[in-house]
Amino acid sequence: MTNQELVLLKNFEEDSLWFNRNIEEIRKEGFTKKFVAIKGKQILEGNENIDFLIQQLEKKGENPSFIFIGFVYPKGFTLIL
Amino acid sequence: MKKIPLSVEHFAGNLRAIAHFLLRSEDPHLFIPIMAIVDTGSPLTLIGPLDLKKMRLSKIQIQKIEGKLNPINVGGGEVSTKILEKTKLKFSNTNVEIEMPVHFPLRGEENPTQPSLLGVDFMLKTKAKLYFNPSRKEAYFEIED
Repeated sequence: MTNQELVLLKNFEEDSLWFNRNIEEIRKEGFTKKFVAIKGKQILEGNENIDFLIQQLEKKGENPSFIFIGFVYPKGFTLIL
Repeated sequence: MKKIPLSVEHFAGNLRAIAHFLLRSEDPHLFIPIMAIVDTGSPLTLIGPLDLKKMRLSKIQIQKIEGKLNPINVGGGEVSTKILEKTKLKFSNTNVEIEMPVHFPLRGEENPTQPSLLGVDFMLKTKAKLYFNPSRKEAYFEIED
């Protein structure tokens, strides 16, 4: 894995873990049932419409492929795969 | 033996084993980090609709994913997938890179909240054993060299 790939994956993984570990705080900020984009362990953008969110990220000059985006399930909701 | 470390995190109501990897393909050209739930109940590895949207595939790129549509049932909804045969999955903290077929949901009742899944096909391909101890939040794949 090149250095660039390693950094990209590490940053993505850290943002993913930050999202899952701070989901309660994210809910309190009003993002329940919304998609949330995370970069550098901070919320970049949130919206209930994923297509709109991706457009907003592009407008900000971000590449959505490299940004962690998670859906904020309501508290108590269990997803059976 | 090699180990692929996994994260154990609360996700959508329960503790799950979670894998992070780089997904790559030459044609169509794809390069995207993925968070996938390790799902021993899923026979196949599936890119979730959210990750598919993030890839912003053009119609030309979608046409390059060959093969017939495969109907599958995911999270209560039916979708049709196509298989990208030579997809490479690269895991961090290891030198492990696996080339295997991955399903892409291209038609159907898409639910963008459905996560990507790392299924039993991955474990068969790599001859992996899964260690999953949710009470200690430990998980990893052990794969044969």
